Amino acid sequence: MYFEYIKSAIASIRSNKGRSFLTMLGIIIGIAAVLIVLVIGDGMKATVNSEIDSMGASTVTVSLDTLKTEKTFTREQMNTIEDTLKGIYGISPSMNFGAYFVTPRKTYDAYVSCGSAVKVNSGGNKIIHGRYFSDADVNEAKKVLVVCQSTAMKLFGYEEVVGETVHMDFYGYEADFVIVGVREDTSMDAAYASFGDEPTLMCDAPYTSVAEVISFNPDDQFTSFAIYMDKENKDQVISSARSIVENVMGLRGENAVKIQASAGMDQTTDTILNIITSVVAIIAAISLLVGGIGVMNIMTVSVTERTREIGIRKSLGARTGSILTQFLAEAAILTFTGGIIGIITGLSIAYLICNVVGFTFMVNPMLVLGVVLISTSIGLFFGIYPAKRAAHLDPIEALRTE
Amino acid sequence: MKKLVEIRDVCKIYNPGENEVRALDHVSLIIGEGEFVAIIGQSGSGKSTLMNMLGCLDTPTSGKYFLHGQDVSHMTDDEQSDVRNREIGFIFQGFNLIPSLTALENVELPLIYRGVAKKERSLLAMNALSKVGLGQRMTHKPNEMSGGQQQRVAIARAIAQAPPILLADEPTGNLDSGSSKEIIKIIKRLYSEGRTVIIITHDPGIAKQAKRIITISDGQIVSDIMNPDYKED
Repeated sequence: MYFEYIKSAIASIRSNKGRSFLTMLGIIIGIAAVLIVLVIGDGMKATVNSEIDSMGASTVTVSLDTLKTEKTFTREQMNTIEDTLKGIYGISPSMNFGAYFVTPRKTYDAYVSCGSAVKVNSGGNKIIHGRYFSDADVNEAKKVLVVCQSTAMKLFGYEEVVGETVHMDFYGYEADFVIVGVREDTSMDAAYASFGDEPTLMCDAPYTSVAEVISFNPDDQFTSFAIYMDKENKDQVISSARSIVENVMGLRGENAVKIQASAGMDQTTDTILNIITSVVAIIAAISLLVGGIGVMNIMTVSVTERTREIGIRKSLGARTGSILTQFLAEAAILTFTGGIIGIITGLSIAYLICNVVGFTFMVNPMLVLGVVLISTSIGLFFGIYPAKRAAHLDPIEALRTE
Repeated sequence: MKKLVEIRDVCKIYNPGENEVRALDHVSLIIGEGEFVAIIGQSGSGKSTLMNMLGCLDTPTSGKYFLHGQDVSHMTDDEQSDVRNREIGFIFQGFNLIPSLTALENVELPLIYRGVAKKERSLLAMNALSKVGLGQRMTHKPNEMSGGQQQRVAIARAIAQAPPILLADEPTGNLDSGSSKEIIKIIKRLYSEGRTVIIITHDPGIAKQAKRIITISDGQIVSDIMNPDYKED
């Protein structure tokens, strides 16, 4: 029996093709919009997460509370800590300097990340030519440099610049550095290098060499350093680092050592991305709501137009439930079909956008299923009012209308 | 003759109070199985109200209506629907076919609501259409047929599931004289096959075709006679 109601619902949808399509359009746009937002949101998350993963080893930052102690990490103390901590690649103090690359043609802004050789493990340091600077370079304060691709291109016009010498100016302290390696651009390197007329060029150098150039004693400067290790060892390192650092520094019981795990970053970005996705999805959902109201509107018009038909059906013995089912089925079929078309449209557009922007395109099947359920429920929900109106029409009145 | 329709002291009052309209005023009526009755009256006489009452489309304000011995005067909507489906075949002045459905689908409608299975339903509907001479036009939509043909589809729909009563409300009102004759002929044939036929009309020419003529005026039955001029075709 229900099959008959569904059949007659389909017949009436088909007998009014133009209007049925316009009604569906609201649902199609709504569903497509929601889907586009959610799929692109997922793709964005996946892309950002994989970028975070590619940032290489996990790091833990150890710092001294400068309000509680005036001590700094000396090179010797850092070496001791490095030797004592188990399961790590190594530790590196971190200093970043602004400087200039001075070439015969032009002077460029430079940004020099300084550290020890273990910094090769930090994200984006994929060497494509030459090598990263070594422990020996650091210990002997060799004036060597690892530049990124875009820096090489700007300075020399080509990438294989290993062995070249470049003159650097640290705001008055000048020295020649030899390039020992070229690393791949990260998206940030590329972004800074493309700042129009005033690019900032990225490079890495041993902290000891830069300290020497700028007459800076590395033994009384550092209040923090980073520990590089495998992700799996992170918890263990965090739990053992404090007592080792306190022992080496003679700071037991002073609560002056702070340990900070930096990989909380993927959680933070996740949260931010989720918030953005939710906000946009809510906006898209509003268009779906508007689509639903459109369905209700058209169904109400359809009931009014077909009052006589309803009267005829009732006079032939249709029960209230039969009429209700017929109109609900009509609304549900409209929105279900609209939902399917919306899914196809939405996924196609999301696929195109993901391709253009470079996000991972992935579709959660549960999402698609959910969207189908939602669109059908919208039809049922917004169809209830007009369907009830139809079902409770007085057959005599209904037969009298033209 | 067994009682099929029995109306006892029925009143139908619209707008109760000072401006009340007594559409039916203490009407009593018995129609037996296999009768051929015309109910004739001017517009406003109460004949439409009576027809709605007989067709279980309406319930009386007071009084009782027994159909096949069952009290149908105070039923719920759905119970009325079931009684209409089982007991009554309607033939309306305006045909009342559903425009989006073919002739066959229109005839199948009451069978669907009765819950008849697809195969049997088509068979019954096709039989009914053949009976009114439309065996060749089953897949036509109403707007592809003449008024007379549409009314014949409506008759097929009314007889498809063989209800005991055929209730025809001005069945020829929208038809030319040729088609009218055709329709009356079909109705008479159905009567001669044993169906109870009730025609509601304002046209004495149509009423004269029936065996029994009931005249209604101002909500009351003013005469109820056997038609002396009745002749079988």
